[in-house]
Amino acid sequence: MAEGDGIGPMARQPIRGGSLSEAELPVVAWPAARERSQSPMAQGLRRLRRNKTALVGAAIVALLVVVAIFADVLAPHSPTTADQTRTFQRPSWEYPLGTDQLGRDMLSRIIHGSRISLAVGVSSVLLALFVGVPLGLMAGYYGGRIDATLMRLMDLILAFPIYLLAIILMVIFTPTAGILGTMKVTGAIAIVRIPIYARLVRGSVLSIKEKEYIEACRALGVRDPSTLLRHVLPNCLAPIIVTTTLGIATSIIVEATLSFLGLGTQPPTPSWGWDLKANVAFIQANSWLSLFPGLAIFVTVLGFNLFGDGLRDALDPRLK
Amino acid sequence: MRVYLLKRLLNIVPTVLMITFVVFVMMRSVPGDPVVALLGDAYNEEDAVRVRQAYGLDKPVLLQYVIWLGKLVQGDWGASILSGRPVLHDVLVRLPVTLELIVLSMAVALAIAIPAAIIGAVRQNTWPDYAATTVAMIGVSIPEFFAGILLLLVFSFGLGGLLPSSGWIYLPGTCPSIVCGVSFRGNAMHVLMPAVALGIGRAAILTRLLRASMLEVIRTEYVTTARAKGVGEPSIVLKHALKNALIPTVTVMGLQVGFLIGGAIVVETLFAMPGLGTFGIDAIIARDYQQVQGFALITAFAFVVINLFVDLTYTFLDPRIRYGA
Repeated sequence: MAEGDGIGPMARQPIRGGSLSEAELPVVAWPAARERSQSPMAQGLRRLRRNKTALVGAAIVALLVVVAIFADVLAPHSPTTADQTRTFQRPSWEYPLGTDQLGRDMLSRIIHGSRISLAVGVSSVLLALFVGVPLGLMAGYYGGRIDATLMRLMDLILAFPIYLLAIILMVIFTPTAGILGTMKVTGAIAIVRIPIYARLVRGSVLSIKEKEYIEACRALGVRDPSTLLRHVLPNCLAPIIVTTTLGIATSIIVEATLSFLGLGTQPPTPSWGWDLKANVAFIQANSWLSLFPGLAIFVTVLGFNLFGDGLRDALDPRLK
Repeated sequence: MRVYLLKRLLNIVPTVLMITFVVFVMMRSVPGDPVVALLGDAYNEEDAVRVRQAYGLDKPVLLQYVIWLGKLVQGDWGASILSGRPVLHDVLVRLPVTLELIVLSMAVALAIAIPAAIIGAVRQNTWPDYAATTVAMIGVSIPEFFAGILLLLVFSFGLGGLLPSSGWIYLPGTCPSIVCGVSFRGNAMHVLMPAVALGIGRAAILTRLLRASMLEVIRTEYVTTARAKGVGEPSIVLKHALKNALIPTVTVMGLQVGFLIGGAIVVETLFAMPGLGTFGIDAIIARDYQQVQGFALITAFAFVVINLFVDLTYTFLDPRIRYGA
């Protein structure tokens, strides 16, 4: 709407030429000119700043990132130290979210658990992008046998129900604790998500490669890698960014689900999904035990979904 | 249409074979030996060799797969390595539980999504619309197991045990043995919370999609024409807008089957239901190769058949769509 409002007066205003008359053009013409000179990405970011729900999502995500980075400072207790004298403590000033069956502070576990959720959510999507985007670029740009082979491989992965494949991959990788365990979960989720990005990028490339500027690149003798990276990829960025943000939310849910099934990062490393699973047996008398890790997952996923939705509306309104 | 249907039915075979083959190979690469787990403390090399021979585990993987396929076409799905029971028997016993869960969760999803999407689209940018989209956004962000736990806290522990927290009562005629509980009411009480837990997320996704499709359809010329002809608003919404807006929704419903199968694993685990989900996850974790193959086979088959069914639904929703013409 804003774009239309800005362009309208500009279009109706007769430009008679000469620097003086151009300088005297009405003020309303300037935003339109500025807007038209902006890249689609800059226009999208401007629309994003006006989207309140996206800003709420961004605030939630930013808060989570801060909590994850400063977990050691923010957590009032150790997330892994058990204290058998303080098991199942109700929420209090000392333990704001209570303690679990081993006497560990739930608030500290939730604060530290944000690291696993965010790390797996973000890095699995980045890893999937790192593999999926080049595959999609090559398949779409070169077509023919390369396209057929790569896409059949992607279809093979897509033919699996997502959880079945992730579960089997985690059983193969053997779940462990610590950074190695987190990397295994990241790898399993990334493999499952690769075809999503490969297909998305291929679809965009198929239309972009027919554009005249790509033809011009070919005519000028620009090398394929350069054409792909400098001209094709930037034009597929909007759907990639949107899918990435929403994909992080899905990855966080898949990570929590794997942990809930006992196949995520193993204890003592704090993980929201694992805490939910471990405390389910005690929720009848201690409802907070599963409530808080569940709420943490919910708020995180909600934050990424709100932000992703806003990004989609801002960057690619056709997908709305 | 017949040619198209025949082609699609024939396509089911390679897809299912491909999935079962990949699962077969992947499970063989899982570290650990199911024979060791089977023999437990009584493990000795002689017995291990005997058991491996009995289950054909001493042969090359490819040959094992061919043998499994050969038996499969004769109706033999093999026997579980851990329980010793025929896999087909266990699948048939557990299938009705999961089918009931998935069908009811989809019914829950549609029962929420259709009215919410209609209200959202018809009253766009009003409070009912904002409420519907907000609830949908919340629904999309709640994992099935957390939705299940919230339901447990309210209906099992909060309201004095209004609904049972775990276990299963079979529908009359589906009880696999003589010792299980059978009743319609008991079954409904047991399936309600799992179906809602699994359905909420789908409801949210379908609401968002259906609302967007409805908004698009409501602005089309044929809807304006219907209004100009004096057709009543309920008829316009239900007969013209909803039916046409359902096409993309049905596609997504088909794609959601994969998520529903995964969700069934989680929900069945949480509510301790004797369905295919718990059958599959137990088998995968215990490396019970035969049982995993049975699970993969039925899952792949369901996935492909439901997506075929979805494609065929298009011709009902939009008679202009003709396959194989």
